[in-house]
Amino acid sequence: MPEIKFDQFLAAPEREIVIVRYHDIFQTEAALKHGKFSKEYQDLSAVIVLDPVDMKKIDAGDGDPVKISSEYGTVVVVAKKSEGENDARANAGHSGVGYMPASVWSNILAFGSTPVSAKVSRSQQKISTVGELTRIQRLID
Amino acid sequence: MACTGCALLCEDIEVRDGEVRHACRIGTAHILNRQQIDPMVDQEVVDIDDAIRRAAALLADAERPMFLGFGNSITETQATGVRLAEKIGAGIDPCSVHTSLIDDIVHSRVKTCTLPEVRDYADVILFWGADPMNTHPRLMSGYAYYPRGKNRQHGWETDRTAIAIDVRRSHTASICKEMYEIVPGRNIEFIDALMLALRNKVPKTVYDSKRVLKLAGTLKKAEFGVIFAGPGLVGSVPRGAIIRLMDKLNEFSDFRILPLYSPYNLRSIAAVDTAAVTTATTVMADAACEHPGGCTPTLASLREADCLLCVGFDLASSLPQACDIDASIIVIDPSETLTAGCADVVIPCAAGGVDLAGTAVRMDGAKIDLPCITKNGQTGAGARTRVSDASIMNRLLEAV
Repeated sequence: MPEIKFDQFLAAPEREIVIVRYHDIFQTEAALKHGKFSKEYQDLSAVIVLDPVDMKKIDAGDGDPVKISSEYGTVVVVAKKSEGENDARANAGHSGVGYMPASVWSNILAFGSTPVSAKVSRSQQKISTVGELTRIQRLID
Repeated sequence: MACTGCALLCEDIEVRDGEVRHACRIGTAHILNRQQIDPMVDQEVVDIDDAIRRAAALLADAERPMFLGFGNSITETQATGVRLAEKIGAGIDPCSVHTSLIDDIVHSRVKTCTLPEVRDYADVILFWGADPMNTHPRLMSGYAYYPRGKNRQHGWETDRTAIAIDVRRSHTASICKEMYEIVPGRNIEFIDALMLALRNKVPKTVYDSKRVLKLAGTLKKAEFGVIFAGPGLVGSVPRGAIIRLMDKLNEFSDFRILPLYSPYNLRSIAAVDTAAVTTATTVMADAACEHPGGCTPTLASLREADCLLCVGFDLASSLPQACDIDASIIVIDPSETLTAGCADVVIPCAAGGVDLAGTAVRMDGAKIDLPCITKNGQTGAGARTRVSDASIMNRLLEAV
C-alpha cells in the first residue's frame, strides 16, 4: 500500500510574481547547434530564475519543477535560484519577479514583450514539452 | 567574410578547415549550423519542387495572405518577397518591435550614427532594455565600450561611461559603471522622470529621484551620447516617447540612438517604402519577443489571414498559440523551426552569408556584401546543396 503523506492533499503554496523574459547566449547557441526540439535547448529554456525569498515561500528547491499560470497559459518548468545572493550586483533581491529565457516556454504565458503577472507553485508534474505547448506532435530528440 | 548570426554583421570572419575564427559563440554556431530540414507537404517528406508547387497553389488561392519575417533574408530575397506580396495583395510583417524605431531613424525623426562613429566618438553609452553580452557579443569589444577610437584613445577606462537601464541585472549591466533597475512594466515612468530631471526638476517617481538627477547630469555632459535601444525599451513604451526623449536630450547634448535587434537584415526590410510592409505601429503594438529582437504579431491580426508565409521567422516559438489558427502555414527557412512542425508546407533554403551570397544592411544602415562562406553551397561534410530563398521566391512569383 503506497505511503500517504500528511501534505499530499494540501494545495502547494502559491506566489504571485511578474514574469520578465531575457536572452541567454547559451540558449541561442543550443538552438542553432542542436535545434529547438533538442534536450539541450529545452534544458536551457524551460527554466525560471527565482529569488530565494520566493523559492522559500513556495517551498521549492533549486532544480524543482514549478507550475506557472498566467491568464494566457500554464507551463511547468525548472526553478533555479538566483546566483550570487551575496553579490549586490548580481540578480538577487528580486522578490516578486521571475526571469525566464525567451522561448516557447515563456511565450506561452504572455502576449507581447511586456511583463506579465503569473502564479507560481511547486509542482509534481513533468516539465512541459514542446508538443504539450503547441500542437506539434514531435518528440524531443 | 561576414557573419549573419546577428545584425552586427562582423566582417572579419575566417573559416579554415571547418574552423571558424573571430566569430562569437552565436556566430560560430550559426555558421556551422548542421540542421537541415526536408521539404514537406502536410508533414510528409516530398520533393522540393512539389513543396514549391503546393506553396504556390496555397498562395494563389489565399484571399488574405500575410508574410512574416524576412529579417533573416538577404536584400535580394526581400525585394522578390515584396514583389510577390504586391502581386497577391499580401501584407508583410517583419515581426519585430524595432520596425517603428527603424522607421523613425530612416525618416530622420531621431538622430542616429554608425557603429564606427560610436567607436571613435561615443563617451556616454546607454544600454536600455538591451543585453548585448547575450545578444550581440562583439558589440562591446568591437564598437561600444572597450575599443580605443579616434577621439577616445583611452577606451573604457576613462573615456567612456557605460550605463545600463533594464528590468534585470543582465551580464551587460554587470560591466557597466551604473545600472538603473526598471520596475517591470514601468519604463515610461522612468522616461518621464528623466525628462523632468533633464529640466532640473526633482521628479516625483517610484524611482530614486537623486539617482535619476545624477543620470540626467551625466547625460547632459555627454559630448557624443549613444542609446542602444533593445526590445526591453522599444517594446514597452509608446513610439512617441523615444522621439520626445531624444529631442529633450539633444537640447543639452549630442545624443544618437541605434536599435539593437538580432535578425541580420531587419533594417533593410523595415525600411522598404511600400504599403505592403507594416511598420510596427499597428500590428506590432503588442509584440512578443522570442529571439533577441524577433517578435510576433498579435494573434488577432494573424486570425484575419488565411495563409501565412513565414520566411526565416519561427512563429510557433514566438507565439505558440498561433499553431491553432486556421490559416495555412508555409515555412521557408534554412533551419528546423517549431513552426515547421505544424506547417502545411516546409521549404528548406540556403542561409544568407553562409551558403548564399548577397547583400544586407547592418543595424547602423551600412550596406554589407555577404560572400558565400562555404564552398559549393555546402555547409559541411555530408551536407546537401540548398536552394536560395531568392530563387524559391522567384519561382513562387512566376507560379502565382
